Amino acid sequence: MNQEQIERYVVGRMSEAEALVFEEYCLANPEFARQVEYEQRLKAGLAQVASGSTAEFVRSESPLRWSLAAAAGLLVAVVAVLSIWNSGTHAPAATLLAAISDGTPQTASSLRLALVRGSENVPALPPGLVRVEIVGLFEAGNLYSVALDRREQNHKIDTIATLNDQRPTSPMSLEVVIDSKQLRPGPYSLRVRKQASGEEALDFGFVKF
Amino acid sequence: MDFIPGGELSRRIRDGDVSAEGELIRQFEPGLRVLLRRRTGGDYGLLQDLVQETLLIVIQRLRGDGIDDPQKLAAFAAQTARNLAIASLRKAERQRTDVDSEATDRNADPTQSVDRIASDHEAALAVRAMLRELPQARDRLMLKRFYLEDHDKELICQELDLSEAAFNQALSRARRRFRQILEERGFAKRDLLSLGL
Repeated sequence: MNQEQIERYVVGRMSEAEALVFEEYCLANPEFARQVEYEQRLKAGLAQVASGSTAEFVRSESPLRWSLAAAAGLLVAVVAVLSIWNSGTHAPAATLLAAISDGTPQTASSLRLALVRGSENVPALPPGLVRVEIVGLFEAGNLYSVALDRREQNHKIDTIATLNDQRPTSPMSLEVVIDSKQLRPGPYSLRVRKQASGEEALDFGFVKF
Repeated sequence: MDFIPGGELSRRIRDGDVSAEGELIRQFEPGLRVLLRRRTGGDYGLLQDLVQETLLIVIQRLRGDGIDDPQKLAAFAAQTARNLAIASLRKAERQRTDVDSEATDRNADPTQSVDRIASDHEAALAVRAMLRELPQARDRLMLKRFYLEDHDKELICQELDLSEAAFNQALSRARRRFRQILEERGFAKRDLLSLGL
């Protein structure tokens, strides 16, 4: 018996006849059986975590990795803004929160939002039309809703725009466009929720200066 | 721990050797847990009950009439466990079709419920800790696809742009860490049984 057979047994890909032989081998080999049980518990634990929310699968990015990503994102934003300022052109008018489509106007800058456990740095929304990449764990076949919330000083949350039926652009990102100039300065968040599911929404905070 | 053949265990238990009964429990209990875990749908309380019941039946049988082919003691224990799991499933189905909610409340066993929740909690806690330590989102996605969404390794590698070696390495790392966390937190030791024979 080997690891490949353990995997097949645990994920349920073994025929009943094979499973009977495998189980009797486990009874005759307690140390091997313990190894199989760890695998079963790993699967059970993953199922339990996933049944609560997919948040656990996305909230643990390495702070260094995302710090570098944020720094790179900021650099892109600064270069883009300088470029626009130098050329004297402006992004065309757009709705406050829009989906990415073929007709999406040229964006001046981009912002990458990810959940970083323990991070106290809130990313800043660049000026102009911003392409926002929300980094998380998305399922290709599902639709997501994205709500833009303004967080008031009295902890009141005011939802100012919502997009439904959004498809992720990849298994790890979903993109939208925000027109920064339509937002007044203050803290905001994008709330992303898998539609038709009981899963809790993921909140991606940012600030507009 | 040395493995004692079924024939020898059967003979010693029939002769009244209590230490042989302990050996039988140590030898078969991990395998019975594997077999019954697959058939109890994550119900930890039921799993514990059925493991104990199987061991009791096997030992009592060996103390009494014995089994036809003592060399096939492991197969006998496995079949006993399967039969108990099937009987338990049938009983649960009957109860689902004729539920007396007041009686259910009266007969509820709070310790079993707590134990059940605790077991799930432990595995989930260890998984959460392990997920926090995985450096790449891709590794977490890979685990979800492989264990929960029943995707082929090949497909996952293709979708996530991974080589098979990288996939196996990440899987092995996750498994090792999960096991370490369970052991460090003492969760692995809770599996030991105490049988009142």
